[in-house]
Amino acid sequence: MISFKPLDPLLHSQLRLAVMSLLIGLEEAEFTFLKEKTESTAGNLSVQLDKLEKAGYIKIEKSFRDKRPLTTCSITPAGVKAFESYVENLKNYIS
Amino acid sequence: MEKELSSKESLALITEMISQAKKEAAGDGSFHLLLWGWVIAVCDLGHYGLAKAGFDAPYLVWLLVIPATLISVYFSRKFARQARVKSHLDSVLGELWLVIYLVIITLVVFMSVLDFNHNPVILLVSAIGVFITGSLIKAKALKLGAGMLAAGALVGFMLPVDEQYLVSGIAMILGYLVPGYYLKKSYRDQF
Repeated sequence: MISFKPLDPLLHSQLRLAVMSLLIGLEEAEFTFLKEKTESTAGNLSVQLDKLEKAGYIKIEKSFRDKRPLTTCSITPAGVKAFESYVENLKNYIS
Repeated sequence: MEKELSSKESLALITEMISQAKKEAAGDGSFHLLLWGWVIAVCDLGHYGLAKAGFDAPYLVWLLVIPATLISVYFSRKFARQARVKSHLDSVLGELWLVIYLVIITLVVFMSVLDFNHNPVILLVSAIGVFITGSLIKAKALKLGAGMLAAGALVGFMLPVDEQYLVSGIAMILGYLVPGYYLKKSYRDQF
């Protein structure tokens, strides 16, 4: 019998799940890329990225490119693990 | 964008985002194939034509490789700087082609040891690179291109050195340029 584990509330949110799904197959991605693909506002995205970073799911690095601030995000091993269990639990719900 | 997701919506969102990330990471990918396809095809066919025309130093046409290398390095750096995402695939492909470039340079340096039969060997090495690239980015056109390069190598081994330049030039057109333009077109058609 399949046991239904609760879905990670941190990932079970449209924007945070979209960010994690984008980052799962990449080494790193720029803030502008995440903003464009998730069609979110900069403010909302920043808040959600902050939540994911505090949970240890992503790493955010701030630097400069051509004298402009550059924010890049990458998924951490803990983030990969959380994402994989989320997908696994999701499959149980669907099947 | 915050709203309660159903399981199916979650799965659809994950699939869509993973596909978006893949598209961005794969990029066009045709620039280097087209650059090197054109340069080496022009050098091979130019060498063949100049030799047939009785020119004393047909090998001078290979000087084109020097600016091509500079252009290739310049644009590789530019693309890497402009890329909004970095993927493991980019790093693997970059390292694969750096190794292939170094092997080809080694073959060219020691061409006299090979009795100047270096062209078919270079085609074989390139075929390996094109095939692995095709496999990594899931592009059948590149695998077929690799087949053309390997076929060119086999034909080349059976011909005199001078004729190998002609075969090599044709193999570069079929193995690099045709799949290169196909990749470029299919990337454009995605958007």
